[in-house]
Formats: sequence, structure tokens, C-alpha cells
Amino acid sequence: MKSNYPGIYRECIKVSFATAATYRFNFVLNAIIMLVSNVLFPLVTILIYGSGAGFPGWSFYEVLLIQAVFTLSAGISGALFNGILWVTMRHIIEGSLEIVLIKPVDCLFYLVASTFEPDSIGLIAGGCIMFAIAAGNAGAISLLMWLQFLALFLAGLLVMMGISFIMAATSFKWVGNSRIPEIFESIKSFGKYPQSILNKSAAAFAAFVIPVAMVGCFPAAALLGKASMPMFAAVIPCVLFALSGIFLYKYMIRLYEGVGG
Amino acid sequence: MVGVEIMNYIKNKIQVVKAVSMVTYKEWSAYRTHSMVSIFVGPVYFMVQYFIWKAVYSGNSVLNGMELSQILTYFGVTALIGYLTMDFADWNLQMLVRTGKFLTFALRPVHHRFFALSQKIGHRILGLLFEFLPCLFIFVFIFKVNMIPASPGWTVLSIVLAFLMNFYLNYIIGLTAFWLVQSTSIRRVYQLLLGIFSGGLIPLVFFPVYLQKLLFFLPFQYVSYVPTMVFTGKYSLAGIKMGIPEIVGIQAAAVLLAALASEAVYRASMKRFTGVGA
Repeated sequence: MKSNYPGIYRECIKVSFATAATYRFNFVLNAIIMLVSNVLFPLVTILIYGSGAGFPGWSFYEVLLIQAVFTLSAGISGALFNGILWVTMRHIIEGSLEIVLIKPVDCLFYLVASTFEPDSIGLIAGGCIMFAIAAGNAGAISLLMWLQFLALFLAGLLVMMGISFIMAATSFKWVGNSRIPEIFESIKSFGKYPQSILNKSAAAFAAFVIPVAMVGCFPAAALLGKASMPMFAAVIPCVLFALSGIFLYKYMIRLYEGVGG
Repeated sequence: MVGVEIMNYIKNKIQVVKAVSMVTYKEWSAYRTHSMVSIFVGPVYFMVQYFIWKAVYSGNSVLNGMELSQILTYFGVTALIGYLTMDFADWNLQMLVRTGKFLTFALRPVHHRFFALSQKIGHRILGLLFEFLPCLFIFVFIFKVNMIPASPGWTVLSIVLAFLMNFYLNYIIGLTAFWLVQSTSIRRVYQLLLGIFSGGLIPLVFFPVYLQKLLFFLPFQYVSYVPTMVFTGKYSLAGIKMGIPEIVGIQAAAVLLAALASEAVYRASMKRFTGVGA
């Protein structure tokens, strides 16, 4: 029997919202905090530009646009993929992954679907507010720029997905380490600023090895009419990165040895 | 007689600290690779800060009274102090309250706050060995950051006070679980405010002056900004310059206030506590 994947995903989202509704106060407050914290995320940029300095070649609103795009990407990927790390970690610690493995559905899909995080709505809303402010002050944006932005933004989401899967796969071997996300958060921070501030090797790393530049900087550059060929070429490592995340997670599932859950 | 009783009391407290911190140290030693994540994360964040501030300073030699080398030292020292003062007493306490396990602590002949503080000491000794020292070597030998404190004695005292301040504040946040049960949202609000106003993101002198003045009356700067500035040997905020002994004295008074506040909230929370045999 073929599994009804869209139906399963829909039901999982309904369950996630029902769960959030159980602790309504906590959910609402978490969403608000996410919104506020991400509106405050460009605080360093605001204070730098407020003190009369700045990043050479980039206006305040242009840098804000990079950070808005990054926030939007983090919000969407947070809702869709982030939960897989924690649920995988818990299953590995408790030895209960068999409960998922015996279900007649793809394990990776089921874990992604069942860990949809409604809290990230606050993050998405915060990103949208920042995006509206920054894009509104960034000058005229043509249809072509929007299309380029969309393509690069989707590539950035693939990077975020790949990061989530690689982190979750790591937790199969590095059992119970709640600090795994910190490693990738630190790497992601290279994508939150104009790539022109990095030296050549760091910029190449952020564009082609772990392509975090695609999460914030490159899509924003497309909206600002600053897109270049290397930026579009960086879509290829993004796809490869996402595929390597999927492959690695599935490989770790194959290595998993359970004793009954 | 009173003198002997006091000595016995102190001796007993030291034994408790020693025992609990050693057990915590051994317990967390099993997860020492978790601490060692900082050896990667700390330098990576520092590199990002390096690129940001190098670009920002490309057209300026001094910003808000700070040169590029000073700001790099600031971020290096902030990271290192963070390893020594890091705390999650709030998470622990709210978990104990939510799961009902706090009952087992309420029955013990040791104040839970003292027990938690002893745990933190053990945990941070591990941080000293597996986070602070490796990152110190990386900052000094790879990034060539000046890591020699202007006055070592005052710096150590200020870091100890920051350690206590962070603990007391977190403990108060953890106590809110007696009212809210699920207090993760309050914790996140607090962590957000602490992250911004402790000076971890950016030196507080970059904030607008009115906000800098307000920060004198909030506890956040005593967790990170004050010990970092004591390390550098110069303290100023909102245009007010202060000698190192003065600001450390103010920091000590703030810690005392935080300790008293935590005791007041603890007593109020005990009135709400009900245990049913966890």
C-alpha cells in the first residue's frame, strides 16, 4: 500500500498546532519572543551604523535586507526542519527509534513531518517585518530581480535543510550532545553579513563548501541588483549539500542498531 | 563556643561544596566533548567578529573611544568570561519543579540554592579546563589577542562576582516555574535581555546614552560588561568613568541585592510549593 504523504504531513501539522494550543501562554509568548528577538537581531548593525561607521559599499538598509532574508530563511526552515534534531536525539538516547522505523512510511519524512514547529511563526513574522522595511528602502526591484531572489532563496532553504539533517545525523553517533546546533549556528553567522567583509578563503568556504552565504547574502544581493555569476553557480553546492544531508541521515538510520525500544 | 559553632558551620559548608562540585565535575566529565564544542564555536564566532569589525574600522581608527585592537580584546575576553560564568540553574530548577522532583531537594538538609551553586562550581571547573584554557591558547597564539589583564586581582574578583550574579539571576528565573510550571518563555525573554544588555553582542558604549544610563540600574552589565572592562583596566558607561575598585564595589553591592532578591522569591515560592511523592 502506498502511503499518503501529503495527508500525513497535513495531519502532523494539525497535531503540532493542537499541541501548541495546550500550552497557549507558552506558545504565544515563545512566538512573540522569537519575533522580538529577531527584530533585535540586526541590533549590532543598527548600532554600528548609528555610530557613524558601516560596512564599506553597503548601506544600512542593504545590510538589513541581508539579515531580513536570513531571518525569513531561519524561520521557514525552523518550522519545517529544525525539530528533527531534537526528536532524533531523544530517540537515540531512549533507544526508541524502532517505533518510527516500523511505521509504513519513510522514517526521515515522518520525523520531519511530526516535528513541525509552530513557534517559528514568530520568527517568520519578524523576518517579514524586517524584509518589508529593508526592501522598501532598497530602491526599485524589477521582476527579474524578484525571480532571481526566489531561486536563490530556495537554494538557501536547501542549505538550511541540509544543515538540519546533518546535525540530526551527527546525533546518532554524538549521543545526547545538545550543543551540536551551536557548531552550525557559528558557521551560519558567516551568512548574516555582506560577503565582501570576509577574506577570500572564508568567502569561498561560505559560498561553496558550507554555502551559508546563500541563506542571507546572495538572495539579498539578487534583490539589490548585485547578483553575479558565482552566486548562481553556488546553487549547485547548495543542492549537493542538501542531498548529502539526506544521504547522511539515511545512512545513519541504516547503521542504527535497536534492541526493542 | 559561638566561634567553634561558626567554624563547624563553615567547615560543613565547604565539605558540601567540595562533595557536590566534585560529583558534578565527574558526572559532566563523561560529556566533556560537549564542553569541547566551545573550542570550535568560540574561535569561529571570534573570526566573524574579526571580519565585521575589521570592515567597520576600515574608515575609522576610533569608534566610541575604542580602537580595533581593544574591541577584538573585548570580544575575546567576553567569550572567555562567558565560559567561566555560564549557568543553567534556571533550566534545572524549572525542570525539577515541573517534574515534581524538587520535592527530593526540599527534604534534604541543604538549601537547594546552595546545592545548585555547588553544582555550578563543579560544572565550571570543567569549563575552565575544556573551554576556557583551550580557547585562551587559541586567542593568544593563533589570533594574537592581548589576554593579559590590567590588574589580575581585581579581574579575578570581578569574574567571581559575575559568576555569582549570573547564578542568582538565573535562579530567580528558575523560581518562576513555581507560578508558571512551564517557564521556558520567561527564560527566553531573560536570555534575550541578558544577551543584549550584558555587552556580549557589542560593547555597551555603542548603545544610545539614555540606554547606557538605564543599564546602571539593571543587573545585566555586571554579568559580562563589567568584568570585561575590569580586565581591560578602564571602565566607562554613559560618559561616566570609574576607577576599577569603585566599579567592582558597585558590582559586589549588585550581587548582594541579587542574592537577597533570590532569597525573597525563594521564600515566596515555598509558600506555593506542594509535593506529592515524586
